[in-house]
Amino acid sequence: MDLNIVLDYLLKGLEISAPIGFAALGGVFSEKSGVTNIALEGIMIVTTFGIVWGSIMFGSIWLGLLFAVLLGVIVAAIHALVTVTYKVDQIISGTAINILALGLGRFLSQNVFGQETQTAMNPFAFPQIRGMNSFALALIPVAILSWFVLQKTVFGLRLRSVGENPESADTLGVNVTLMRYAGVIISGVMCGLAAGVLYPSRWVSGMTGGRGFIALAAMIFGRWSPIGAVLAAMLFGYADTARIMFESQIPIPSQFVQMFPYVLAVVVLAGFVGKARGPAAAGRPYVKGED
Amino acid sequence: MKRISKYSLYELAAPLLGFAASMVILLAIVVVVGENPGKAVTAIWKMTFSSPARAATLLSMSIPLFLAGLAVALAFRASIFNIGVEGQYFMGALTGAMAGIYLHLPAWLHIPVVVICAMAGGMLWALVPALLKVGRGIHEVITTIMFNSIALALVNWLVNGPLSGVEGASLEAQTKHIQPTAVFQKLNAGFRALGWDVPDFVYLDYSLIVAVVIGLVTWFVLFRLRAGFELRAVGTSTDVSLYAGIKVKQVQLGAFLASGAIAGLIGLQEVFAIRGFYTYEIASGLGLDGIAIALIGRNSPLGVVFSAFLFAFLKQAGYGLQIYTRVPNSVIYVITGVMILFIVVTNELIAKYIRALRKKEAV
Repeated sequence: MDLNIVLDYLLKGLEISAPIGFAALGGVFSEKSGVTNIALEGIMIVTTFGIVWGSIMFGSIWLGLLFAVLLGVIVAAIHALVTVTYKVDQIISGTAINILALGLGRFLSQNVFGQETQTAMNPFAFPQIRGMNSFALALIPVAILSWFVLQKTVFGLRLRSVGENPESADTLGVNVTLMRYAGVIISGVMCGLAAGVLYPSRWVSGMTGGRGFIALAAMIFGRWSPIGAVLAAMLFGYADTARIMFESQIPIPSQFVQMFPYVLAVVVLAGFVGKARGPAAAGRPYVKGED
Repeated sequence: MKRISKYSLYELAAPLLGFAASMVILLAIVVVVGENPGKAVTAIWKMTFSSPARAATLLSMSIPLFLAGLAVALAFRASIFNIGVEGQYFMGALTGAMAGIYLHLPAWLHIPVVVICAMAGGMLWALVPALLKVGRGIHEVITTIMFNSIALALVNWLVNGPLSGVEGASLEAQTKHIQPTAVFQKLNAGFRALGWDVPDFVYLDYSLIVAVVIGLVTWFVLFRLRAGFELRAVGTSTDVSLYAGIKVKQVQLGAFLASGAIAGLIGLQEVFAIRGFYTYEIASGLGLDGIAIALIGRNSPLGVVFSAFLFAFLKQAGYGLQIYTRVPNSVIYVITGVMILFIVVTNELIAKYIRALRKKEAV
């Protein structure tokens, strides 16, 4: 096989995997702290808009990225406020944020760029490597850093403890509310980083295309570990890249390649390939002094 | 029982406050965008209640919204979060369409058969998440999200491949046309006879009858039959229900499948009355709408009637703003999201307040 094609495939695959990988890392942090975050999709709608808007406003892709991260943090903080402080069902809050973000992206686009479904072109971009957005490379150090933070630091231990058993953590003096806010807000940061890879050239309505949900699948398939989630994201991403690059040579209909991550996630959840167990207290609000 | 009714007024407060707050926010956005609020109100009025035809359009739009809301609400009642309504709706609509295309039956039989097939399709798509939930204790939210995406891809493949019926004229992938015997006829003439001037372009068709019947049956089962009592008991507390000898898993399985069956009916109007064939392009996002509608309707069949109508109103209001003002249609999604968050947070605060009141009474 031509070496150029192999290299192109490797790079393109990383570029396609990276947004899913970043978002999956966000899912891991949030869920590890005990907050299920199905709003990843909605947060990414806002951050992908934010990077284009921010870049054009401030004249730099890095400032645009910072702006996207900031918007991601704000939207994630709403999820944290509603679910941690007000103890509302996490799925309901996530659903509401997904609906809100769907409108917000288009509403802002209409008012900032005069068009509801797409923004102006973003003249700023990260350097490219053979056509690949080089920011995708950041996924690897961020994944390793995430693993280190979660597994090797006091902060990570505390974050995991409030997701497993908030009652004991509280008894031991861990601030459950603070840790859960941290977990959810980190997921907002990750969604901001995801925007750094996901077409920063122009925002188009619907361009996140369900990646927030694939990220959830990757998180589950990676068994809630940062490295696992990123590897799962890469599995899905490289399968998708194969579909895009070699569609005519692959005898399988492309729709089945699209289904692949979701089917795999269900199979894993069903326990057919080993046991999959998320953080014990994920999805459950913590109410002090009850039970 | 008396104590519950005493506080039910508080419970009604949240949706009403939520709606009021969202309208205030809508007007605030209108002002921020630099549009005249009076003009916006006129635009909304024009699109919603300015004529019998507009009002009939609202009723027509609320049919699929009602079914979507009811499907989510019924599952909610049994502590099941069916996010999979979207996928069940796609699969139900496609299954129904298949029966409408490939079966040759007299009309009196064909119509009920396609309705049953649509229900079966939706139910089958709920089956695996339902079995995983009751059999292996796997949370239904993630599995149904995954099943939605699988349904989307599967339907895409089916209408582009094995079930494709494109005859060159249309660009979008679609199936063959439905047999004339399975087409849902309009009831507009009947409404006109009753004095409501419903013009021919509005779709008030057999799907309205289906929605009414399903709504009544659901209400009857929930509040008049033992099965419904058990379902509500499971929704209130699975622990207490288990203790009372209710087969919680069976009840949840039943509720999940019934929810899927109702979801299967959402597409009837679009496929059998409006288009006459199935396409990948049928309305999407109804599953998401259904969750919002169920929440705002407090998971009761009657509440869902009102909130489905409210949603139809909001959607039309959005179009009105889009056409007559500089406020884009998408503002409605923003408002909907804000409204849900507002309602659920208010609910929690009110529940806290009621707990405090009760504590005071108990002392």
